[in-house]
Amino acid sequence: MPPPFRLLLLLLVPLLTVGCGGADDAPDPAASASLREAARAAREAHYANQPSLPPAVVEALERGELSQEALDARVAAGEFGKFFVTATPEAIPTELLWEDGSDLPEFASPDAKKGGTLFSAIDDFPRTLRRVGPDSNGSFRPFLLDDVVMGFAQRHPVVTEIVDSNFRYFPGIAREWALDRENRTVYVRIDPDARWSDGEPITVDDVFFMFYFYQSEWIRAPWYNNVYTRNYTRVTRYDELTFSLTLPEAKPDMLGRALGLEPLPEHFFDEFGEDFVERYQWRFVPTSGAYVVREEDVRKGRSITLTRNPDWWAQDRRFWRNRFNYDRIHFSVIRDTAKRFEAFRKGELDLFGLTLPEYWYDKLPDDDALVADGYVRKYVFYNERPRPTYGLWINQAQPLLDDRNVRVGIQHATHWQRVIDAYFRGDYGRMRTTADGYGAFTHPDLEPRPYDVDAALEAFARAGFTERDDDGILVDEAGRRLSFEITTGYEALKDVLTILREEALEAGVEFRIEVLDGTAAWKKIQEKQHDIAFVAFNVAPEMYPRYWETYHSVNAWDEPWLPDGSPNPARKAKAQTNNLQSIAIPELDGLIERYRASEDAEEMRALAFRMEEILREDASFVPGFTLPFYRVGAWRWLRWPEHFDVRLSAGPLEAFLGWIEPGAREETEAARAAGETFEPVVQAFEQYRTP
Amino acid sequence: MRLDPLTRRRLARFREIRRGWYSLLLLLGLLALSGVAEFLVNDRAVVVRHEGSWHFPTWGPVELGAAYGLEGTAARTPVDYRALAQRFEAAGGDDFVLLPPVPWGPYGNDDENGILRARPPDPDRGHWLGTDTTGRDVLARLVYGFRTAVLFALAFTALTYFIGVAVGCVMGWFGGWVDLLLQRVIEIWSNVPFLYMVIIVFSVIPSTYSVGTRIAVLLLVMVLFSWTGLTYYMRTETYREKARDYTAAAVVIGAGTGRILFRHILPNTLATLVTFAPFTVVSAITAITALDFLGWGLPPPTPSIGELLRQGTANLTTAPWIVISAFVTLVTMLTLVTFIGEAVREAFDPRRFTLYR
Repeated sequence: MPPPFRLLLLLLVPLLTVGCGGADDAPDPAASASLREAARAAREAHYANQPSLPPAVVEALERGELSQEALDARVAAGEFGKFFVTATPEAIPTELLWEDGSDLPEFASPDAKKGGTLFSAIDDFPRTLRRVGPDSNGSFRPFLLDDVVMGFAQRHPVVTEIVDSNFRYFPGIAREWALDRENRTVYVRIDPDARWSDGEPITVDDVFFMFYFYQSEWIRAPWYNNVYTRNYTRVTRYDELTFSLTLPEAKPDMLGRALGLEPLPEHFFDEFGEDFVERYQWRFVPTSGAYVVREEDVRKGRSITLTRNPDWWAQDRRFWRNRFNYDRIHFSVIRDTAKRFEAFRKGELDLFGLTLPEYWYDKLPDDDALVADGYVRKYVFYNERPRPTYGLWINQAQPLLDDRNVRVGIQHATHWQRVIDAYFRGDYGRMRTTADGYGAFTHPDLEPRPYDVDAALEAFARAGFTERDDDGILVDEAGRRLSFEITTGYEALKDVLTILREEALEAGVEFRIEVLDGTAAWKKIQEKQHDIAFVAFNVAPEMYPRYWETYHSVNAWDEPWLPDGSPNPARKAKAQTNNLQSIAIPELDGLIERYRASEDAEEMRALAFRMEEILREDASFVPGFTLPFYRVGAWRWLRWPEHFDVRLSAGPLEAFLGWIEPGAREETEAARAAGETFEPVVQAFEQYRTP
Repeated sequence: MRLDPLTRRRLARFREIRRGWYSLLLLLGLLALSGVAEFLVNDRAVVVRHEGSWHFPTWGPVELGAAYGLEGTAARTPVDYRALAQRFEAAGGDDFVLLPPVPWGPYGNDDENGILRARPPDPDRGHWLGTDTTGRDVLARLVYGFRTAVLFALAFTALTYFIGVAVGCVMGWFGGWVDLLLQRVIEIWSNVPFLYMVIIVFSVIPSTYSVGTRIAVLLLVMVLFSWTGLTYYMRTETYREKARDYTAAAVVIGAGTGRILFRHILPNTLATLVTFAPFTVVSAITAITALDFLGWGLPPPTPSIGELLRQGTANLTTAPWIVISAFVTLVTMLTLVTFIGEAVREAFDPRRFTLYR
């Protein structure tokens, strides 16, 4: 299952640290035995009682149309089936077509060598080792979860085509799987060799436990509670290693919804209870993946180290071999970017992200001694994946911005091309739609409105803004000025806004820039207090974009429409939703509902294109820029495969294809001391570059 | 204006201390220059002569290109006076544009071959101290940042003095319960961490407020947490003067509290007050620079020395001219004020001109 999409790209700054709980106290054996007994009883009770609720019921409960008591009564009356079901192996249909992805190519390099320590840095120490719950969604999470654990199967990161409405998967914990689309069920057989990092076998018990865990309120993660209740209707156990998952609807990517899950070690969470958040704050969860965090490597506030599990069960498996090559990955905490860069130049860090043009061109140019002498190598890797939605989100609920002419004027007054050409030096691309990078699901030929002062002035004039005041800002007859606030939490990107501001003044519109702390900005935007927001949603490599969250009217207003279908004049903005533009268009609502219900990829594509056209017409999202690549500088002892990385990768430590060349570090250091140089390496990998 | 002989002697002594005196002159000169900065450093022209008519665009409303016979899009957008100057020059006629010596404002992004980046000093292009990372003129941003900082510091000093002196005087004069109570209040108040309070308060001010208002709010918050230091000195001074015979004499004659405080006690505590003033200015400049450096001060893109310092330290090796300019300006400013402060202290030192020698 993809994570909650690391929602805002940079908004990962939790406010307060949570101290470590009482978990470190020496346990009293009797107390801990009774604790385990209680945990087991709660688990068994959940397995016995959890009903299998249709999505309509879950959604009615969320909207408050159905009370918990009423639901409990219906459950007690036996209206719904059970969520956790046990059956015999004979119950598995015989006509299933079992798959194991064995026709897919491997993507790691056979030249890779194991060993060595990679030195890297993080800007903030992780506030917990838990993978869910408060503070867990930090910048270290990929190394505990997303990029390391295996899942039942993983989407192939190079072969990204859609076959029979599904992506292609290669096996992880699962040995094979079968899809029964008619019954909306996925059958999975767990690999008998699969082991947790503490040596325990992975079984269907851990799958049951995973659902129990994520459905439990004790984890204090409502997003997970919702997904694991709403998106799955039943899990059936056939034997120790075989189970099936039933989903409420047969969406095109239903295979991904089932296979992307990762079971959780039931034996490790034997004290799972109300105090989970504190009790498991600093306990490393045994993983199916290659890297573990050892207790002695957690030096709070200073550094944290991943260690390769030498007995990892999958290390010689296809798709997993020749990856995860570093023996240890050491992360020091260095908060300041400039300092991190200096540490990299000194060789204290092995690699450094050079995606920003000022680093790539000015701070570490190709003629820099380190690069020219071949000690440090520079790489550009073009990837192909859904793009974070950088742009201006105009809130239509604000005065003046409810006028489409004003919004069109702002579109034409926003000079993204100058930002891209002059500030990002032409390396970045212009975002075209609200959902770029989804391959076949991205509208093929929509274009954003270009910067055009005349067109902007014309649009503003249509809205009644024809005169300029003493500051050169347009005013209308009522004396209202075209002056709007842009709110952002991206301190690092404030220069982008100052450039937009200067260019917008030409067209007579003033942008006031408000740079807030990340958390504060996100709060303000989610409460719909902004005029215009400069944010981006980060997006997981999903098959198709989401529209309901960001564009459905129920996420804009509490009661958007009157019974006769006209806008409700007394409606109030709905807080804590992702409809940042307060968009409410009945036609769009209808399309979104059809899109959500659709099980046909072709139909969904057509709907998505139509929705993009409506959104462009509505003009309340000014598409910004996209980054078509990542760039990195690395000391020459770090090596990568010939093709460098996989199509979907967003960073060098995502697919873990690189390795440390044995002896190269010593060789480089000796050469530096002796003043010898190497052939410089500045390489671009453009095999996945899209025009 | 008649000054009493003591003050006159003090002023004479101050002028004798050359370092302080010249620092004062220099600082006043810089302040005066920055007061007319719009004529010296600006992207608006000082004078334009166009078809026989004269324009003085420096202070007036924004002019659109149509005013100078420009056509197309240029007619409907604010005039680019640098481009206008070239146009008039190329055309040859009587028309001309007189640009300020530094023809750049603090906001305009000037690209080099289509790329915005920090550019080293380039007098030919008018960037005497180079540009910052988005191609804005460093000198222009320094000048306007300097003006804001100094005006801010002076206003800050005036306000903290007003509150500090008033409260200190009240404490010293009335003594007893008033003194005790206020002292406790001050102790508590002065333990509130000032920087955090500024950061908290400033982060909740909506940016719908104009930059001017935001600066005023920042000033008020800073004053609110900075007036306590002065009360200690004023309180003791007032206690001391209160015990003197001349105060007793005034009381006996029947002078009211106000008259005694303003006519007798305040002038006699002046030495202490004046001595501290320059150092308060220094701390105000440092505080606003620090806040900007931390990103909690004035909203972007307002020019400020702290913001330049921040940019400079992030680009130490690639654009040293930014940090050098900002650093030199800040150090010069603080040094001048400190020199003035030292001279004032020495000039007002009672050990030299005391009546009880």
